[in-house]
Amino acid sequence: GANRKEERAVEADGAVPEKERSEPSLIQPPPRSRSYVPPEDLLSCLESHVREVFGPSVPEDWQQAPLQDKRLKHRLLARLAAELGHAVPNSQLHCMRRAGDVLGFYRTPVRDGSKIDELAAAKLPSNLKIIWQQ
Amino acid sequence: RYVRQLQRLQLLFSPTAADARGARQFVEEAAQDFARQHPDVVLYVSPHAGPGPAPVLRAEYLNGTVRDELIASKTSEEIVQLATKLANQSGLDIIRIRKPFHTDNPSIQGQWHPLTNKPSVLTVQGPRLQPE
Repeated sequence: GANRKEERAVEADGAVPEKERSEPSLIQPPPRSRSYVPPEDLLSCLESHVREVFGPSVPEDWQQAPLQDKRLKHRLLARLAAELGHAVPNSQLHCMRRAGDVLGFYRTPVRDGSKIDELAAAKLPSNLKIIWQQ
Repeated sequence: RYVRQLQRLQLLFSPTAADARGARQFVEEAAQDFARQHPDVVLYVSPHAGPGPAPVLRAEYLNGTVRDELIASKTSEEIVQLATKLANQSGLDIIRIRKPFHTDNPSIQGQWHPLTNKPSVLTVQGPRLQPE
């Protein structure tokens, strides 16, 4: 719990390091940072994936394509997760009913780091000091 | 000129403990407003990682008194009220003041109160705002 959060916070400050195994060591690898920034070409990327998975049965407005068929849904979400590096969590799967919902999910950026870190970085009035090491 | 007797307020809490939820909400929402409304008080927010003592709001006054108030399981609004109360106090101890004199007849002609020497219709009307 607390240890994992500390490590993640430490790692999120720099870039995600590459795993170089020149010698086998028992050091725990750094945890993946959960931050996600939506790429510029998100719309076109998503559209191409939807057309690829659905094939000819895509309706006029691709955002209205229903995801009722489990196989198509899994295929689409797995491809998007592999490409963008950000997967839909299990608790949100039931919300993804149309391609538009998936688009909305992938548009929201995710920042890791607690609220206190954000507050410490933001502009505060001059008589409010936050003493937080991490 | 008024000099606020409260020098600094230190908010010591844990970022993960359950009873510090009100303190965390206070820091996220209301601390900046409080700091802007009371510019002569310094507010230190010091979260300590890991399990520690109960969340506490420490008030230090200009005469050196340090007052600790427990804020465990208090909501953000209650903490704001508590902080405003501390900001309006002086650092004198809150005990009974004893004086070295005593009298059996404190008043001969009657103790003054704000309605002495005023027309008695005010006891019925009550106070009125003066028109500017």
